Amino acid sequence: MKKFFLNLYNWIDERVKLEDLVNFMGKKYVPVHSRSIWYYFGGVTLFFFIIQVVTGILLLFYYKASADLAFESIQFIMSKVEFGWLVRSIHTWSANLFILAAFIHMFSVYFERSYRKPREITWITGMLMFFLGLGFGFSGYLLPWNELAFFATKVGSDILGAIPLIGEELKIFARGGEDVTGATLSRMFGFHVALFPAIFTVLLTIHLLLVQRQGMSQPMEMVEKEMSEEKKMPFFPNFLLRDLLFWLIVLNVLAILAVFFPSELGHKADPFAPAPEGIKPEWYFLFMFQALKYLPAHVLFIEGEILGILLFGAAGILWLLVPFWDKKTARGQKNKFITYLGIFSVMFIIVFTILGWLT
Amino acid sequence: MKKISISSVILFLLLISNSIQGQNDKCFICHESIGDNASVLFKKDIHFQKNISCSGCHGGNNQSDDMEVAMNPRNGYLGVPKGDQISERCIKCHSNSETMRKYGSKLPTNQIEQIKNSVHWQRSTKGTEHIVQCTTCHNAHGIVSVKNPASPVYSLNIPKTCSTCHNSAVFMHSYNPSLPVDQYQKYITSVHGKLILKGDSKAADCSDCHGAHDIRKATDVKSKVYPTNIPATCSVCHSNTAYMKSYKIPTDQFDKFSISVHGKALLEKNDLNAPACNSCHGNHGATPPGVESISKVCGTCHVLNAELFSGSPHKQAFDKKKYPECETCHKYHDIVTASNELLGVSKDAVCSKCHSEKENRKGYYIGMKMRSLIDSLDAEIKTANALVNDAEQKGMEISDAKFKLRDANQAKLETKTMVHSVDFEKFKEIVSGKGLKTTNSIKDEASAAIDNFYFRRYGLLVSVLIMSILAIALYFYIKSIERGKKKIK
Amino acid sequence: MENNNNSHKGRRNFLKYVLNGGLAGFAISIFYPLVSYLKPPKQEDVEVSSISAGKLDEIEKDTGKIIQFGTKPVLLIRTQNDKLLAYDAICTHLDCTVQYKSDMGIIWCACHNGKYDLSGRNIAGPPPKPLQPYNVVVKGDEIIISKQS
Repeated sequence: MKKFFLNLYNWIDERVKLEDLVNFMGKKYVPVHSRSIWYYFGGVTLFFFIIQVVTGILLLFYYKASADLAFESIQFIMSKVEFGWLVRSIHTWSANLFILAAFIHMFSVYFERSYRKPREITWITGMLMFFLGLGFGFSGYLLPWNELAFFATKVGSDILGAIPLIGEELKIFARGGEDVTGATLSRMFGFHVALFPAIFTVLLTIHLLLVQRQGMSQPMEMVEKEMSEEKKMPFFPNFLLRDLLFWLIVLNVLAILAVFFPSELGHKADPFAPAPEGIKPEWYFLFMFQALKYLPAHVLFIEGEILGILLFGAAGILWLLVPFWDKKTARGQKNKFITYLGIFSVMFIIVFTILGWLT
Repeated sequence: MKKISISSVILFLLLISNSIQGQNDKCFICHESIGDNASVLFKKDIHFQKNISCSGCHGGNNQSDDMEVAMNPRNGYLGVPKGDQISERCIKCHSNSETMRKYGSKLPTNQIEQIKNSVHWQRSTKGTEHIVQCTTCHNAHGIVSVKNPASPVYSLNIPKTCSTCHNSAVFMHSYNPSLPVDQYQKYITSVHGKLILKGDSKAADCSDCHGAHDIRKATDVKSKVYPTNIPATCSVCHSNTAYMKSYKIPTDQFDKFSISVHGKALLEKNDLNAPACNSCHGNHGATPPGVESISKVCGTCHVLNAELFSGSPHKQAFDKKKYPECETCHKYHDIVTASNELLGVSKDAVCSKCHSEKENRKGYYIGMKMRSLIDSLDAEIKTANALVNDAEQKGMEISDAKFKLRDANQAKLETKTMVHSVDFEKFKEIVSGKGLKTTNSIKDEASAAIDNFYFRRYGLLVSVLIMSILAIALYFYIKSIERGKKKIK
Repeated sequence: MENNNNSHKGRRNFLKYVLNGGLAGFAISIFYPLVSYLKPPKQEDVEVSSISAGKLDEIEKDTGKIIQFGTKPVLLIRTQNDKLLAYDAICTHLDCTVQYKSDMGIIWCACHNGKYDLSGRNIAGPPPKPLQPYNVVVKGDEIIISKQS
């Protein structure tokens, strides 16, 4: 058995020179320090993404993206297909945990200022993937075509429509028409399973290649010192195995969540039915949704909602471009402002998410 | 100027003439002397007795015996009022409570308001006037109090009065060709009609059910005889103990009816197909159904039950003993949904009324067996239902089994029909062939779903265990690699 | 020393077994659900909002047929003058299944003699509401019944 694998390895090695790759991996080291734990969250996010791809492909085997059939096909998956309930539950749970892991990964990178030169591209691709992840969440939420999803999408795309100048066009583009209809479903399906994954794959490839190429970023205070033998660990196999260990634990948690809290289906969407009470977006949009609610109807001469959207848009762009305006860090100095801004953002998100949850 | 003063004098004279005895009424004196019919009748008229002159309706000057003056249109003389003019003359006083009070009348003054909602206030075929005027029912010159037996709208006279039009196919044809014209003929066969003919003015006449001035179409939801209003209309008299005392009949029909399956359907669910009082008793020919006709009356709706019953051995036995067919088991007025308890030989069951271990034994045993069968079906449906609910609560998709529950419930309904045949084999066929078979397959499916639920839990347990072991092993493996590395160094 | 080494080796072997066994178990617990999922389910397709009710020549004139539409029964009628009609076959009175009565030319419920005319209207007996109609179209010689939206 062992011999077979060895032969196989040699066979491939002969043709594609695997040796270089192994050497490269063997020489790659991961810094070891008190905050090493954060390094794993990138991997965990990746793991959730892989699960999403696998379960997503599985769901595609039975899912039918039309207003007539979407709900029924999910019902079919949940009841008639063996382990269909599990696949769908894992897909929804893993989607939520993906966003959560991405949040953690992003903030850990931010606080460590790992976005600084030379890792600006890694940061940008990561942020773009994060936005895309939110897009995945939004487009995927409608696909079961149930009451909750229908009205959440309606409300969500309405907010899109409030963006000045391009809002109305954007809303019609997202909805595939004036209103949320079967056309919106087809469109969201297209985004969810084709367009977004395609872009995501490109971004992910760049992101991972850069991580491999540049190695893990070291905390600022450690840069000066040369990595001692004790303070680093080889990426292969040590770090990779730890990664796998982490993934196993995550998978366990996922399985427990999927079995004990399976995804529900609710009632089929009825465009003519009155909206049910307490329509809320998914939790990761909740803080924005809630903050928009607290804004007064008019601030000076601008409508409160528009102002809010503009502010969030500006904040997003600012956040995305942090490696370029954070000059102090680039010079290797400590930038307290970055820390305060980060803490403020985290607090803002947590407080408003909780407020949104409670109301 | 002179003209005005003359007319004001006339007006003054007119006014004081009201207080002068009728004998001073020049219209009346003259007309009576020529012995015309109107004045003969008017002598008995309530308006005559209240000193209202002919001119009160016909206009003109009742103080002049010169016909040129008295009956001059310039003095407001109208001649014989035509069409709507008639009612307008009546309304002038009868809708004015002050005027009415002056004459010492306690009559209501809302007649015109009421009649405006009435079917009779539609335009007549001529289009220039309404179908009826006050005089159509109340007479023109011999108007007397409703309580006066001479009045055409005195209780005992009303049916005849209404039937002058409503009995005429020719007349009714011009307004509502599909409306029957046999109400009067039916009415005189009814208990009410018979009493009226005997001179009992307490019995219901047309106006007691249809209203007096505000007679609406039976299809008008505000009509007193709209299906959902009928029970209340009948109960005005029939629930009044004091009123019904002399007739020696019960007065609890309405109370019983309202708790019955029919009453609930009609009054609570507004189901117009549900029977009201008239559906069983007849409307114009209202009479309680006789003993032999009960099953026919019930059978107009409950066809299958009546048919099965007629073909059953019970039919002959009931006829022989003169038992009313449906009523013997289901009662009347307070007919409730037949429960299982009705069947069998237990205390509340109806079979034991005639069947016991000593008497009519065959029926005794069949009743007992049928009861145990239907009880077992009931129990099975309950268990199946509980299992389905359980599976559903556990989050399992079980819509197929739920669909089959319908079939089981249908079987239960069918047994309730089939029981009227008292044919044990047929009954058993439905219970076990249709009912129990379905409940069994529901139970199987639901149990399978519940089993599957536990399979998921155990499956999870196993795989979590495996993954945990793997994780622990991996942890030690990493440790051992790292230790190995250090050693090599 | 050797003893120590042996026990060490034994421990390592044991770890190896556990690791391999765990991997195998892990693979099973991943692939068993996966393969089961991909195995075609008993019922081949989703219940849909339209179904085929068979060939046109399978239903004679002046007859009715109960078609299973998802989890609901639907009554398909081919009338004397060759019109195709479909109604919800659940009586609006008490959940019994209705049928077409050719001798009376009506839709009839056996439980309590409820009657509906061929436009689905309740005309006699206890049913309080008319029957819900379905759309019927003929494609080629196949009858397609669909929900009215």
